[in-house]
Amino acid sequence: MSLQERLPAILAAAQQELRAAPDLPSLDRAKGKFLGAEGAFTTLMKELGSLPKEERPLAGKAINAAKQELEAVLSEVRGALELRAALPKEPADFTLPGRRRPLGRLHPLTQVTDSIVRAFRKLGFAVADGPEIEDEVHCFDALNTPKDHPARDAQDTFFLDSTGRPLLRTHTSSVQIRVMEKTPPPIRIVVPGRVFRRDNADATHNPTFHQIEGLYVDRHVTVGDLKGTVEAVFQEVLGSDVKLRFRPHYFSYTEPSLEIDFTNALVRKLGKEWLEIAGCGMVHPQVFENVGYDPEVWSGWAFGFGIERIAMLCYGITDIRLLYENDVRFLKQF
Amino acid sequence: MKVTLNWLRNHVDFDGTPEELTERLTLLGLEVEGVERLAGQLDGVVVAQVLSRDKHPNADKLSVCRVADGRGERQIVCGAQNFKAGDKVPLILPGASLPPKAGETQPFTIKVGKIRSVESHGMMCSHEELGLEPEAFGLRREDGLLILPETATVGQPLAVHLGLSGSDVVFDLEVTPNRPDLNSVIGIAREVAALTGKPLRLPEVTVPEVAGGAAAPAVAVRLEAPDLCPRYTARVIRGLKVGPSPAWLRSALEKVGLRSINNVVDVSNFVMLETGQPLHTFDLRRLRTRAAGVPEVVIRRASEGETFTTLDGREHTLTPENLLIADAAGGIALAGIMGGLDSGIQADTTDVLIESAYFTPTGIRRTSKALALRTDASYRFERGADVQAAESAGRRCAQLLLELAGGSLSGEVIDAFPNPPPSKELTLRHDRAKVLLGVDIPAEVQAGFLAGLGLEEVGQGSRTGAAGSVWRVPSWRVDLKREVDLVEEVARLFGVDRIPSTTPRGAVGSHPFDATYDRFAEVRRILTGLGLDEAQGQTLISDAAARRVSEEVVLLANPLSSDMNALRPSLLPGLIDSLSHNLTRRNGDVQLFEIGRVFTLHNGAAREGWRVAIALTGARDPRFWSGADRDAKADVYDLKGLVEELIERLGLRGVAYARRPESTPLMLESAAVTLGGKLPLGQLGQLLPTLAKRHDLRDAVLLAELDLDALLARGNPARSFKPLAAFPSIQRDVAMIVPEATTHEAVLAAVKQAKPGHLEAVELFDVFRGKHVPEGHKSLAYSFTYRAADRTLKDEEVQASHDRLVGVFQSALGASLRA
Repeated sequence: MSLQERLPAILAAAQQELRAAPDLPSLDRAKGKFLGAEGAFTTLMKELGSLPKEERPLAGKAINAAKQELEAVLSEVRGALELRAALPKEPADFTLPGRRRPLGRLHPLTQVTDSIVRAFRKLGFAVADGPEIEDEVHCFDALNTPKDHPARDAQDTFFLDSTGRPLLRTHTSSVQIRVMEKTPPPIRIVVPGRVFRRDNADATHNPTFHQIEGLYVDRHVTVGDLKGTVEAVFQEVLGSDVKLRFRPHYFSYTEPSLEIDFTNALVRKLGKEWLEIAGCGMVHPQVFENVGYDPEVWSGWAFGFGIERIAMLCYGITDIRLLYENDVRFLKQF
Repeated sequence: MKVTLNWLRNHVDFDGTPEELTERLTLLGLEVEGVERLAGQLDGVVVAQVLSRDKHPNADKLSVCRVADGRGERQIVCGAQNFKAGDKVPLILPGASLPPKAGETQPFTIKVGKIRSVESHGMMCSHEELGLEPEAFGLRREDGLLILPETATVGQPLAVHLGLSGSDVVFDLEVTPNRPDLNSVIGIAREVAALTGKPLRLPEVTVPEVAGGAAAPAVAVRLEAPDLCPRYTARVIRGLKVGPSPAWLRSALEKVGLRSINNVVDVSNFVMLETGQPLHTFDLRRLRTRAAGVPEVVIRRASEGETFTTLDGREHTLTPENLLIADAAGGIALAGIMGGLDSGIQADTTDVLIESAYFTPTGIRRTSKALALRTDASYRFERGADVQAAESAGRRCAQLLLELAGGSLSGEVIDAFPNPPPSKELTLRHDRAKVLLGVDIPAEVQAGFLAGLGLEEVGQGSRTGAAGSVWRVPSWRVDLKREVDLVEEVARLFGVDRIPSTTPRGAVGSHPFDATYDRFAEVRRILTGLGLDEAQGQTLISDAAARRVSEEVVLLANPLSSDMNALRPSLLPGLIDSLSHNLTRRNGDVQLFEIGRVFTLHNGAAREGWRVAIALTGARDPRFWSGADRDAKADVYDLKGLVEELIERLGLRGVAYARRPESTPLMLESAAVTLGGKLPLGQLGQLLPTLAKRHDLRDAVLLAELDLDALLARGNPARSFKPLAAFPSIQRDVAMIVPEATTHEAVLAAVKQAKPGHLEAVELFDVFRGKHVPEGHKSLAYSFTYRAADRTLKDEEVQASHDRLVGVFQSALGASLRA
């Protein structure tokens, strides 16, 4: 049989053996058997010299073509075997839980405060702050609270064991005075912060809690502006289906004073028609006079509410004390 | 303040439903906190008149009557014998029920039915059937139907005729402290009248002439403290008879939650509720007189240490701040608050002194507070009674007493009122409402609102020259003090719901804290990003916990309890409590941070500052199902890593950590954190195991606290770009054995001293103690990276620098190199 006649059988046998190799060493052995120094193809190449000169090119071409074909198979099989060798012994179970790098959670009070502050900031309010230890002037006198008002009692207010009768602020409204004393109008601030009342802790009371309030002083500020802002803020915080109701009320530092009730699907689910949510009003002219603003030129409004109450409503939290226990099963829910 | 619909209707007509009234009162600023519907007694029983009485065709003992029920005529079959045509009798209508008789549980419901084949449309009733005692209503006890007086109004509900409580609605109103005038039925009716435009009906008070002409006073009044009692009126009724109150009075009081005592006490309570003016009645004969003559009532300050027993049996020791009503021998009442044990009305009282006075709010408040004594009277006086009502309320009380308890007025009325205050006048500029409310309400509409509330227009114009009106403020409106208060009245009656909403215009706010708020948010973002949950702790903690972390603790003067008697000087005690809370609920792995204010004393003055604190305990990582490290607990280096990451993100450089040589009252091992060794930034370390144990904490508790004000002040979060290295680096590793006391910081200092050229980075990659390392020593392995910015370094260059560095380690640190 001529060389060219034998070639297809050798190629077929080589291909079969390469493809049958179960692992890389077997593949290498098979490769040696056909392409190595003693391999079948090497032997064929050596035979080439014994062919008549005119047959050599054709036969050489044929051998080379077969060799190339074999190299291709070899590389294909090697790729497949290498991939198989790279696979771990145990396959990954993608249903197993992953190794987590959990993010911490922001406290629900922080989240609610942030959402309220965000709503105010959209309307051009800047965040302001003042001390938690206050004096009677900023907490009561300048806010037009009568001298014998019950709020000033040791019954309701924490006083410090220190000279000058310092106290823990009972509301964030003291910051109104701090800011207006230092800054000429116009004013547009929102004040989140801790406040303190001498209440024993129960499901709805904690001696420490948070309030947030807005103050806007400018020329020609009206009750209409107050209503518009309150509506905008509560629609941001409680959802666009929220409806508000304003009722005349009494606070010493505003006149007229209003209380705000709201309702939405949540309130109706609680079986109520309205829920009280905030107090507000037009800054009392006496308060303006106390900080040196002319109430004939400037008018303004303030409104404030408890952050815990909003958080409890938004998340359905039933006991205020949960907010201060820092139970991780609680914190991880928000 | 509780008020019933029927009582309100005595003073103003209101046609709407109770729901409408609730809504309107609420929007007027009188929040309705509760609405209670009372079923009436004897519902469906009316006063009827017998028009004719004929014998029943089929029964001898029955009669068939035509009866007028106020709407028409009915045929009624009746078995009673004691009546005749023309008599007025109780008639129960079909569908209504009679109260169950003794021994029965079900009420008896009347139906239209045939009695011996004659239809009967209701039933005429006896007193037994109605469950009434006729004598209680001044009626004769009859064997048969209850016969009502000829004056009874046909068609009127029997309950109304008898003064029993018909069906009614009780409103519980929240009266704000600025509106004492609303603590009265008339005050509330006045609001309703102003809102609806219906007239307000005041009771007609006519008091008969004093018996025996204008005689000498029956009592003398000496007003010694007009500053605390600007007005004192007194009336005397002699010969009255103390007894039970009539049904209407009992029912009126009981519906609003007051117990009926007797006719005299009930009348004074009724007048207080009706007018808002608290009254007091004394048994005149119990007043002790010094000599012959009329008894004298003295309104005086108590003397220091004087004792007085109030009618609740409590003895009080008084001071001159307390006002007493006294007779010749001593106190008979704590003015405006409570009467004395011995001077009150008794069953045998016949002569009564009616006191109706005005006591100043401050005086009443001080005494009430000092003696912890609060009554309906003190509640009203301390909010401000109507000084002008004192006289008329006394008169009203006298009228009702004469009506209900008999007797006659004795002596002239005494009205000690040395300095009547002038009436107040306020100007309302017409445009002021628009300026403040944002809605244009015509001047005449505004005027109508104010007039409806009892203000009187007494002039035009204003001081500023703007168009306006001058209004005289009625004495009961103690809250109306300046123009803006009138604007509020206009807003209330106009309806805040009718003011259109607008959004703010103009200025944009600014405040220095605005940027701080954002930086706090950044700190929170970093720490939650590092896996810590945010906590919020109590500001108030126990002084014992506070003193563990600071010697300068701010204490409360009036704490609620000893667990909350100090302001936190640090966030750590609160975080330890939170860890403990979690541990006792089997949450063993807790990683928390808190941002909050702390308080310390500086030279006796309280100072506050912001801090950020971290607390870790339990597993380092969330539980995982494989890996050698999976049970690792958080240690001090986890804590340090968090602190370093935070500090670096905030842009602070040169922060030093100096190990404290000793344990502190809080920490077992800890380090002071400073900026450059000088400015204190805080501390970090491990909680004392004894303290941990006390809080049920089993694993190591790692705590860090930093001064957030200082971090933010010194941190520079600004970033700038540095070109990326273009040339390769060369790395050299060194492992050396050093004494245990040699710190990483000392190694870095040695590096700094050697200043090897082209050194880019130093990285510690191993700390080892044990095999081949002598006792009291440790092996530290560092990797040094050398790089030039402008070329590829040659090995020899680096070697020279590196050899010098190693030389410094040997000489300065006493290090020996490991192979």
